[in-house]
Amino acid sequence: MNSRERMDAAMRPPQQPNRVPVMCQLALGHYFLNTGLPAAEIWHDSEMFAGALLLLQRRYGFDGILVNLPGRDPDWRDAIADIEEREGRTRIRWREGPVTVVPPDDNPRVLGADGRKRRPPALADLHPQQLFYIEPHDRLGVVMLADFPDWQFDTLSRVRALAPDVSVHGEIFSPFSQLIELLGPAQAMLALADDPRKVKACLERLVEGAATLGAELIRAGADAVLISSAYAGAGFISRGHYEEFVLPFESRVIEKIKADAPSAIVYTHTCGAIGDRFDLMEATGTNGVDTLDPPPLGTVDLADARRRLSKHVFIKGNIDPVNTALRGTPEDCHREALERIAIAGPRGYILSTACSVSPHTPPDNVEAIARAATESPCAV
Amino acid sequence: MSFDKLRFAIQDGDAAAAKTLTSALVDSGSVPAEILNQAMLPGMSVVGARFRDREIFLPDVLLAARAMKAAMAVLEPLLLRDRVPSAGAIVLGTVRGDLHDIGKNLVSVMLQGAGYRVVDLGSDVEPDAFIDAAVDEGASVIGMSALLTTTMTEMAAVVGRIRERELHGRVRTIVGGAAVSEAFACEIGADAYASDAMTAVDRVKAMMAANPSI
Repeated sequence: MNSRERMDAAMRPPQQPNRVPVMCQLALGHYFLNTGLPAAEIWHDSEMFAGALLLLQRRYGFDGILVNLPGRDPDWRDAIADIEEREGRTRIRWREGPVTVVPPDDNPRVLGADGRKRRPPALADLHPQQLFYIEPHDRLGVVMLADFPDWQFDTLSRVRALAPDVSVHGEIFSPFSQLIELLGPAQAMLALADDPRKVKACLERLVEGAATLGAELIRAGADAVLISSAYAGAGFISRGHYEEFVLPFESRVIEKIKADAPSAIVYTHTCGAIGDRFDLMEATGTNGVDTLDPPPLGTVDLADARRRLSKHVFIKGNIDPVNTALRGTPEDCHREALERIAIAGPRGYILSTACSVSPHTPPDNVEAIARAATESPCAV
Repeated sequence: MSFDKLRFAIQDGDAAAAKTLTSALVDSGSVPAEILNQAMLPGMSVVGARFRDREIFLPDVLLAARAMKAAMAVLEPLLLRDRVPSAGAIVLGTVRGDLHDIGKNLVSVMLQGAGYRVVDLGSDVEPDAFIDAAVDEGASVIGMSALLTTTMTEMAAVVGRIRERELHGRVRTIVGGAAVSEAFACEIGADAYASDAMTAVDRVKAMMAANPSI
């Protein structure tokens, strides 16, 4: 089995891969720090980001790659008004006015021309019919898209072409996440109580964009689509809120992607405390559940998760990304990875950190996690 | 008129009722400090405890905070008139390089709900800005939040600057955030760590009891 076949089998339990595959989502800052490529270029250039993705996939021996930025306009350099290096950060002022500050180790942030954080629109001023898809990682920050440009898929297509034997995953934001990214968390959370009808009308529209993007990613060569649904855990909302504002809309996104590509794999990435809502997550029709943060970051006991999720739902993650991967030793990482494999393998499990590998995680630690997959007793 | 109705209005996040009930209590001759201490603060305390225990969730807390704010708009001028002191001042902010403020805002809500005056510096706060604000406002506690593993190290910079400015012992620090832990807090020399907003209130109370102002 090559990596792509191994991942495919793991994502379609009860099929059994020849060993538990390994694929961690890496924070963008981890690419900035560990590829030797310029951070601003990784963020803004499809070709450069594809190169960074491949570089670290090969270094770590991952079986899969998550393309977690949209493709970029190939003419993005023409939009630069000026660029300067200050205190280790790159500041790019765009002709449109906004300024992007690129730190050496973390996601860039886009500020207004006045240097201030973007002010989100008020829910009252938002018309649901305006909405299609909210892209949080556009060159100009959080933007409302009415359609997807051709270059949206450039990074994914390039990675697909250069890594035909590796599982390549695309990313979409859930309707609920999109709305929160647009309105800001406080306003969006209050809106659930103040104007649930309007919230639902907005979410309904955002289903269209997410489903369209998901289907297009599959057409561009993605083996799976990850739905980023970071705000759907118990740190933010109740099970009741989940049933009302997340489940119906994520279900429709998945339904629509699968109507277009019936064998597509679509899985859900939710951070933090999700131990109380596996049943609801599964009810969306998702193929898999990603991150599964263990205590203290989240509430997931892996053995409990494996028992409670159906056998046809794969799980990915559960290695503590902070206390083990970032702050632990390679031996800690290796040991914890083997433990996870023993608990959740050999079918329907992808070895991974819960949430992203943080920027300053020592590469030796990531390598130790990946090594565990190849040494695991499950390996055939 | 009973304080219970106001307490429940805050717990239920009913801003209109909270405002009306506060006005009615004032009109009926209730002492502003008693309205605060016997209705509003206990109401927010229940909200904090229920949030910690995952009986209620972020939208419910934000609604309760809005109700508290509506009631405070009625009460604040009267508390100032009566020279009712706050429980103490605390400087709060998300550290340099970090724009995430959900957790910090939640802690702010709970601290205000416990009667503290919160000097909220927002996000992306420079180390010295925390300390300058503490000195200017007479705050003996600085609360720092960070979501990112790349920015939590900034907390150490603030602790370091407090020592350099010879304010250690007079200005204490409490840290929190998704990736922050008790071990990390000890490692950087912070005075306290809180895993959630209600714990933050408890820890601040303990620190304030020992050292009420700078």
